[in-house]
Amino acid sequence: MQSRWDIGEPEPRTINKATEQLKSELLTLNMGPQHPATHGVLRIEIWTDSEVVAHAIPHLGYLHRCMEKHSENMDYRAVIPFVDRLDYLAAMNMEWNYVMAVEKMLGTEVPRRAELLRIMVAELQRIGSHLMAFGTYALDLGAFTPFLYAFDYREKILRLFEEVSGARLLYNYYWIGGLWNDWTDDQLDRVAHFCDEMEEEAKKYHELVSMNKIFVERTANVGVMSVQDCFDFGATGPVLRGAGFKWDLRKNKTYGLYNEFDFDIPIGTGEQGVPGDCWNRYIVRMKEVVESIKIIRQCLEKLEPGSVMAKVPKIIKLPKGEVYVRTECPRGELGMHLVAQEGEKSPYRLKVKSPCFTHVSMLPRVAPGQMIADFVASVGSIDIVLGEVDR
Amino acid sequence: MNNFNTPAPHYETGSVKDYFSGLYKGITTTAKGMWITFKYVWAVKPVSIEYPEVREVLPERSRMRLFNDVLNCISCTQCAMACPVDCIYIASEKLPEGAEIKKTSNGQPIRLKLTQFVIDEALCCYCGLCTTVCPTECLTHTHDYEFSQYTIDGMKYDYLAPDVIAWRDRIVK
Amino acid sequence: MHKELVDLINSNIPEAKAVFNEATDPKADASITVEASSILKLASWLRTNDHMPFNVLQCISGVDYLEYMEVCYILAHFDLNTPRELILKVKLTDRVNPNLDSIVEVYPAADFQERECYDMFGVSFNNHPDHRRILCPDDWKGFPLRKDYVPAKDYNGMLVYPDNKMNFEDREFIVRQNMIKKAQEKASES
Repeated sequence: MQSRWDIGEPEPRTINKATEQLKSELLTLNMGPQHPATHGVLRIEIWTDSEVVAHAIPHLGYLHRCMEKHSENMDYRAVIPFVDRLDYLAAMNMEWNYVMAVEKMLGTEVPRRAELLRIMVAELQRIGSHLMAFGTYALDLGAFTPFLYAFDYREKILRLFEEVSGARLLYNYYWIGGLWNDWTDDQLDRVAHFCDEMEEEAKKYHELVSMNKIFVERTANVGVMSVQDCFDFGATGPVLRGAGFKWDLRKNKTYGLYNEFDFDIPIGTGEQGVPGDCWNRYIVRMKEVVESIKIIRQCLEKLEPGSVMAKVPKIIKLPKGEVYVRTECPRGELGMHLVAQEGEKSPYRLKVKSPCFTHVSMLPRVAPGQMIADFVASVGSIDIVLGEVDR
Repeated sequence: MNNFNTPAPHYETGSVKDYFSGLYKGITTTAKGMWITFKYVWAVKPVSIEYPEVREVLPERSRMRLFNDVLNCISCTQCAMACPVDCIYIASEKLPEGAEIKKTSNGQPIRLKLTQFVIDEALCCYCGLCTTVCPTECLTHTHDYEFSQYTIDGMKYDYLAPDVIAWRDRIVK
Repeated sequence: MHKELVDLINSNIPEAKAVFNEATDPKADASITVEASSILKLASWLRTNDHMPFNVLQCISGVDYLEYMEVCYILAHFDLNTPRELILKVKLTDRVNPNLDSIVEVYPAADFQERECYDMFGVSFNNHPDHRRILCPDDWKGFPLRKDYVPAKDYNGMLVYPDNKMNFEDREFIVRQNMIKKAQEKASES
């Protein structure tokens, strides 16, 4: 690859014998556990050759809370607050995955109103999570304004969730067999009003950030992960869709009632830069916000009165067996491997395959050859949440 | 020059036309963005709530600090068993013989004497599982979120203490 | 799909001795069990064959049944026309030093997943490029997710279950009350 930096080998010049023995070394930098741009406590050991990164080695485990071991001692219902705390910025999607796994083994039939509300709440949570990703990504690159704009709208979503479930971040709202509380009509009106506001706001973000020349120069052609790279490393979600492959679990392996909804799957087409770079991953998230608004509006039309909780035994015991359930979370595809023994009140083994864990393993492949500022842009574009990576 | 076989970063050199079109695009997109930001000076209402002079009214389902109305508690220990982090400590003993059996506010008889009901609010994860299993609904979430203490032991709330029972009238409807 | 795949595996790689585990409950997932020694050959065949390829390794999850350990490889094929998924299990009977071949050359995603399996269960993987603990600190003793795991009392001088944080007085309130009562009765008797 010919580039400006290839000036060829310099002629050896020796002023005196000392300079013959001068050597240069790679500099080790810690993009350490405390860092404003690593979205949590992630430590990346970067070896740099002047400004260019030679290796990047992520060290994980700073937020490891042994959630998988704890869940072996809890009731099935009591695991739900633990699952919330995995990806604390998109807790509803995490809860839905676990609750789907338990309901699949139990064989409960969730009422229709609960299924539709689950989709609506999950899509609202997806908008909230993408707003957070957008705000913090722009902040990483030095743009201070979009952060607070995004957080204003995220606050509206969190207020809606607080009215219905009682908490702003860690909800414990999806219960085995349905939902905890129902939505009243005026809360649903507020959701509709929010959708209208959010559509206007998404256009504003497009003008403010997405097409801004500085942002484009910082993120286009940076951190390119091709589709084959994504398959090699098991990347899913916006990372895979940003590379150009149209894979979304909501359409390709439908769960819940998603097959009744009409929405598109945005992919990165290389409008700026090449498919698979940071700009395309970012624009996939922005377009997904618009698609989620479409889904929420359709959901509000389809809702009918009914109950939101099915009849579930007081002490839940699952039959012997295992199940692996996947759902599409804002950061990728979450998978939960639930192994149950006959007659036990708690899971025998709950393994959580978090999307951010697989995406962090791609960093050593993407890093070599980038400048440190580009590396910061790549790390931000993967949208990591350490709660999920370390569990 | 490059002793470590680090792949060199790839940058393209552009032409004069690219320079001027890049300059034009840079100025126009930045100006558009700054116009959006400038509108906030007069056209948008501020959304900040000036805490602590102004406090937000929380929705009624908000799960903040727990409160237990011990006069209505039947010592079933369902809340202690449901808690995922084991932060509720309950001890009870049999009533002495011949004692009068009182009733709770929804008619259930109290057959055990509650001797200890302590919740460690520092351990509590505010999930709400204990309030859903309480049969008499004496354990509820209040809207109080300003209860920080100077010591961790101060976060253990003993609901049988007389000054806490006096709060009952303020909280329980 | 599983039965066809079992036949294909057994005809192409006979040392895998693939067995179809039908789930005892119809709602649970079925899986295929193979021999531990053939996992590397099988992985490269699964990635590159033409009949039923699986191009993505999603997860490696270990399960500790008390007499043996199982490592489950969860594979998927991302294709818009013929997507498929598979749970592939490998049984390890040696609980003291379980050992497997690493499949990092075939599926680079296995890098972090195998490190986690080593960290949590102690399953060591041959030829892994960076074989060390990932979530626990590098000098942690013991493998946490095993069923017979007991945490060490201290770690580099820090207590694992410090007494002042365990809320003992609250948990044993009733025991202490009984002890106080018994002591009072004894005192009043004597």
